[in-house]
Amino acid sequence: MGKEILFVVSRPPYKSENPKLAITHAMACYVADIHIDEEVEPIMAFVADGVLNCIKNQRSEAFYGIISTEQHIKNQLASDMKMFVCKEDLQRLEIKEERLIDGKDMGAEVDLEMVGFEEILKEMERCDQVMFF
Amino acid sequence: MRLGVFVSDLRGNEKMLDRLKAEKLGVFLVENGIYHAVIKEDGMISPLLQKEGADYYVLTEDLQTRGFTSSEVDSKVSVVTYLDVVDLMMNDYEKLVWL
Repeated sequence: MGKEILFVVSRPPYKSENPKLAITHAMACYVADIHIDEEVEPIMAFVADGVLNCIKNQRSEAFYGIISTEQHIKNQLASDMKMFVCKEDLQRLEIKEERLIDGKDMGAEVDLEMVGFEEILKEMERCDQVMFF
Repeated sequence: MRLGVFVSDLRGNEKMLDRLKAEKLGVFLVENGIYHAVIKEDGMISPLLQKEGADYYVLTEDLQTRGFTSSEVDSKVSVVTYLDVVDLMMNDYEKLVWL
């Protein structure tokens, strides 16, 4: 097992670049290891208002002319990236599981995992590095 | 004064909006401001929607971009398009501010 980096997203999508930067940086880990001669394993966690990134049926291509955050998340899931969503924040914002992005649309074998914040804290402790967006 | 207020964030605008007074007040929920119209937090609607006498509008393009539909919008809020917003800005409000 190489170096594990946890990317934590705490802001909603589109208004600021932060959530998408986190997602694209995480994706870049898969190619970065070629250059740094070390395996890098990215993991993502959506917390606080960041869980709003995980709502499905985003139509940014139609209205903003940009690839949706949903598409990026599906791509990561199709690459078997582990992605957590904070259960307490979903409950607080009354977002039900069926409103979340479904990785299986892209043939992914893994899906967004709903976990408690305690679990995410444990991941922060376990991973070699944490990046907060 | 007929005042139109644009809100484009989910957090941090409630106090400022509360202090604004106008004979006619319109609140335009755009970009991440749309979440005020569709998200309940701990079972409560957004405090931003509790300004007495205000008219609320949410931009459908920003709503759909974020995965929501007009059927999920709070009944206090009217769903509008970009063209509607332009009409409202030109016809209904004298001053426009962006929180």
